[in-house]
Amino acid sequence: MNLLGVLDISGSALTAERQRAEVLASNLANAQTTRTAKGGPYRRQMVVFKTHQAGSSRFAGVLSGFDDRFGQGVEVTRVVADPTPPVQRYEPAHPDADSQGYVSYPAINPIEEMVNLMGAARSYEVNIAAVQATKNMISASLEILS
Amino acid sequence: MSRMEQLCEYLDLAAFRERLIASNLANVDTPGYRTRDINFEGEMRRAVAQAGDTAAKPRVFEVSGLIERPDGNNVNLDREGLLLAKTQLQFRLGVDLLRQEFQRISAAVKEGS
Repeated sequence: MNLLGVLDISGSALTAERQRAEVLASNLANAQTTRTAKGGPYRRQMVVFKTHQAGSSRFAGVLSGFDDRFGQGVEVTRVVADPTPPVQRYEPAHPDADSQGYVSYPAINPIEEMVNLMGAARSYEVNIAAVQATKNMISASLEILS
Repeated sequence: MSRMEQLCEYLDLAAFRERLIASNLANVDTPGYRTRDINFEGEMRRAVAQAGDTAAKPRVFEVSGLIERPDGNNVNLDREGLLLAKTQLQFRLGVDLLRQEFQRISAAVKEGS
């Protein structure tokens, strides 16, 4: 049984949750951005999580047989833009205002982003706890030799 | 099945369960993910009964009766946290017993010389 492979599973979750936190931070930072490289206001980004077969693509994973097939990590498959239309605000003096004087702002609710950010932080912590537990088990198994 | 083989089986099962728990915790935010587990006692009993039949795969099942979130995910953090602690202690117990077993052998070897 490969306990080091369990660390890979928890590690994949740490990576995914950190990516999620990065995207959320980007949403918060750009809550008022009206200009982007693609033109138009910033679009809110969302991550899509998907289960990921840990180690199955690697030679070692195939070699070690059944035990790697049951461990499923997680990965961010896509980062998608929120299709919600931008919020129109009447600001005729703004350089990005349209002919009617309305400026398109990103449809971002900072409270929603903060709640999601807290969720990401908690999930990160929970996976850190799993890493600690696995580390303890590995060091315990090393004691068999002593 | 010798005592040492039984202990090895016990450690294997504990490590296997740890893998499933880590997997459940990793997918705490994955929509549609279902909590998976093994029947530890049942698998242990089966392994002891089928002595010598190596690498019998533990049967993994989706845990039923857990509260499901609207996104179809039913990972319960409290359940997984408790199981994580329990599995860790079980593993430690197995390691300690296995060590005692080795120490007994080593004592026998030393006394014999």
